[in-house]
Amino acid sequence: MNIRSLLAVIVFIIVVLVAVPVLIAKSGRWDFYYTLTSVALLSIASAGVWFTFYIGRINIGQGAYALAGGYVSAVLVMKADMNFWLTLPLAGIFCAVLSVFIGMPILRLRGVYFAMVTLILTEVMRLAALALPVTNGAKGITSIPLPGAVSIGGVTLLPDFNTLENPKLAFYLVSATLMIICYGVLWRIVNSRLGHLCRSLQQNEELAASIGVNISWLRVLAYSISSFFGGIAGAMFIAVSQSIYPSSFQVADSVNFMLNCFLGGLGYVFGPMLGTLVLYFGWDLLFSTGKYQLLIYSSMIILLILLLPNGILSLGLFNRKIKADKHRDQEGQ
Amino acid sequence: MEQILANGLYLGAQYALIALGLTLIFSLMNVLNFAHGQMYVFGGFVTYTVVVQFGLPFIVGLIASAVTLAIIGALIEQYLFRPVIRKSQREESTMLLAAGIAFFLDAVILLLFGEKQRGVPKIVDGVFNWDFRIIMPYDRILICGLAIALIASFILFMQYSKAGRAMRALAQDRVAAQLMGVDVNRYSMLGFALGAMLAGVVGGLLVTITGINLGMGGPTSIKAFLMIMIGGAGVISGAIAGGFILGMMESVGLTALSAYGDITYLVIFASLMVFLAIRPQGLMGKPWG
Amino acid sequence: MAALLSVQGVTKRYGGLIAVNNVSFDVAASEILSVIGPNGAGKSTLFKLISSFTQVTSGKVLLEGDRISNLTPHVVARKGVVRTFQEATIFRAMTVRDNIIVSHHLRSQASLLGFFLGSAKARADEAAFGDSADDIIEFLGLQGIANEVASNLPQGHLRALGMAIGLATGPKVLLLDEPFAGMNHDETMHMVNLVRRLRDDRGVTVLLVEHDMAAVMKISDRIVVINFGQKIAEGTPSAIQSNDQVIEAYLGSEDDVIGM
Repeated sequence: MNIRSLLAVIVFIIVVLVAVPVLIAKSGRWDFYYTLTSVALLSIASAGVWFTFYIGRINIGQGAYALAGGYVSAVLVMKADMNFWLTLPLAGIFCAVLSVFIGMPILRLRGVYFAMVTLILTEVMRLAALALPVTNGAKGITSIPLPGAVSIGGVTLLPDFNTLENPKLAFYLVSATLMIICYGVLWRIVNSRLGHLCRSLQQNEELAASIGVNISWLRVLAYSISSFFGGIAGAMFIAVSQSIYPSSFQVADSVNFMLNCFLGGLGYVFGPMLGTLVLYFGWDLLFSTGKYQLLIYSSMIILLILLLPNGILSLGLFNRKIKADKHRDQEGQ
Repeated sequence: MEQILANGLYLGAQYALIALGLTLIFSLMNVLNFAHGQMYVFGGFVTYTVVVQFGLPFIVGLIASAVTLAIIGALIEQYLFRPVIRKSQREESTMLLAAGIAFFLDAVILLLFGEKQRGVPKIVDGVFNWDFRIIMPYDRILICGLAIALIASFILFMQYSKAGRAMRALAQDRVAAQLMGVDVNRYSMLGFALGAMLAGVVGGLLVTITGINLGMGGPTSIKAFLMIMIGGAGVISGAIAGGFILGMMESVGLTALSAYGDITYLVIFASLMVFLAIRPQGLMGKPWG
Repeated sequence: MAALLSVQGVTKRYGGLIAVNNVSFDVAASEILSVIGPNGAGKSTLFKLISSFTQVTSGKVLLEGDRISNLTPHVVARKGVVRTFQEATIFRAMTVRDNIIVSHHLRSQASLLGFFLGSAKARADEAAFGDSADDIIEFLGLQGIANEVASNLPQGHLRALGMAIGLATGPKVLLLDEPFAGMNHDETMHMVNLVRRLRDDRGVTVLLVEHDMAAVMKISDRIVVINFGQKIAEGTPSAIQSNDQVIEAYLGSEDDVIGM
């Protein structure tokens, strides 16, 4: 990483963790905390979708893992009386393991076929949540307690959220930090050998196999990392909303995760973050238009695709990346 | 047993009709039409409006649904898909566009028809009862018969008409078809209109039995995807097979698994996973499409 | 003659069709052996069978006595048998150098986690791959275009890059699928030279499938001829040239010209 990008990252972290809270305190728009917390968490899930694209698969099933992660966390907190912060990684691991079993058969599919089957997966996960006894069916799980404290060797790392005066701010800070960590990890993966191998897979699976890459194993690994992101995003989201229903994450959410990635731009690691911010904020800002909200929102998406078929980041801000993108596009034909 | 089969046949006929439209659009343009379920819902609402609000006969409503959706399909193809396919190099863009259109149609349905569940009064009364082995209302039998007749006429159309042959050539090899003088733009539009029309007609048929509401779009698309995954995407026989297989599985599942709660689709999906592991291209599909 | 690679009674059936019928031959270490035959004779299928891109119906392929047939491509590659592809098959969106670096995958000592964390071993690997890539670039004369994105390259360079990708894996046996196809005389001679140096300088055993008879005669130590899926002759270029069966097989087909 060169000095300039390191600086950019530091500025970004300061803006997210310091400047935003200060601005919100000044303006008194406390409702923005919820919006921004959502953006942070949804962009983690979108990052997973983006990474599945990195191996050349269109993933419209991230909602399924967000839902599964949310339920794992909620059930462990409610039934096993576990500390939320312990359930967070467990939710991610559960989703990663689940995705290995689901991924093994479906990752052999490509293109539209994989997209279709993942979309079906989202719906099936919703039906599973409705049908399984542990999830409490359509009534869902409600009144989930706020996260407890985390301390190691007497040092309190995270306070008990019940004791906080402003848990909204705390949720925002935790979610934003989680997002920064996830994108840091994703950036590192993409720029390490694993990422290079994923790119080779995306560009030509047969050739990748011929140079000795175990493509079926690598596909499953990448997909399980993606699903891990989905799982922790879902679990954290449930902690914020303190309730979960089978409809908490559904097909429309899976589609939105995909839209976030594509509209942000696929050639750039931080594309899904930008896409989530723009789409979620756009949706939120349109709230005042009442019953026309969905109409305007969907028209804008359609217009955006008509005008910028290669994503927002294709506006020329990152020329080098886009050039590589174009080559990949030609490959895809 | 006979009852389960009859229910399966009834469901399968409608499902196959929905899947046919989806697979037609897919095979012609390599577009996965996310908005298919919404088109189905739209068709249902048009029939409802014509029959209940305007008090016209059911058949008029059905024709109105067909015509409306055909026009919507043609417009969507010409003004949205065609420019995006031309401008963007990746197939994902069309998927994105289709998702945007699904949201858009949802919004339009919401504004035009509202959120309420709507239905059309029974078109024929009475119940068919064969010795309590098969019990089925006459209107269901009629709808099932209509659906099968439509499937048959669709196959005949694709097989013997000039337009049908042109579309099949286009589906097989776009470039070759173009070289042979097939007007690609014209038949893509016709195919999209036809696919949308089929969705609308099924909506019109089913509004008489199950009624229609805004929330039915997404799940209908999902079922249609399931069917073409089973049968193999882009293949007409596959869509029909997939439709009837899903109908049968649902019918059997609802009876056999009722003791365990509503897990039919869970079981169907699990079986699909196993099936795809063995045969990724579906029953009749070509490998990797 | 100790066989490095041994093809023993390999047969491939597709339904009722026999694509490769009971073909056997040995490849000695540091040999250049060509498989020739008219179009549709089963050469490409044979290649896929050796590299486990398809599975044999019966028979087996051995590398130094170990069975390598009916495995998966990446396992065969790990054992040291690596194929190139007929068309210009490369990682299109990567630069030439990145294409070669990523193809060093089999030589890495560090784990993927090590690469992620940037361990000492991983950094050593990165450096070694970079050096080796530069070495291969020089060997194949790709210096001028090392940082070009691969999809921008002309056909001739793409073929060389395909070979570089294969070479980067550190193979014992390199399978070249029609390396001279579509090349003019000068390009072909250049490629013949490269293949020869692959063996002479790098000690790689080469098994190639080819149409271009002139090039094959020039380059091969030995030649195996197949027709309709069966081996009809095997021997030195001069022996093959005077073999009646071979001449007949080639005269019977219009696509191939004996350009000697």
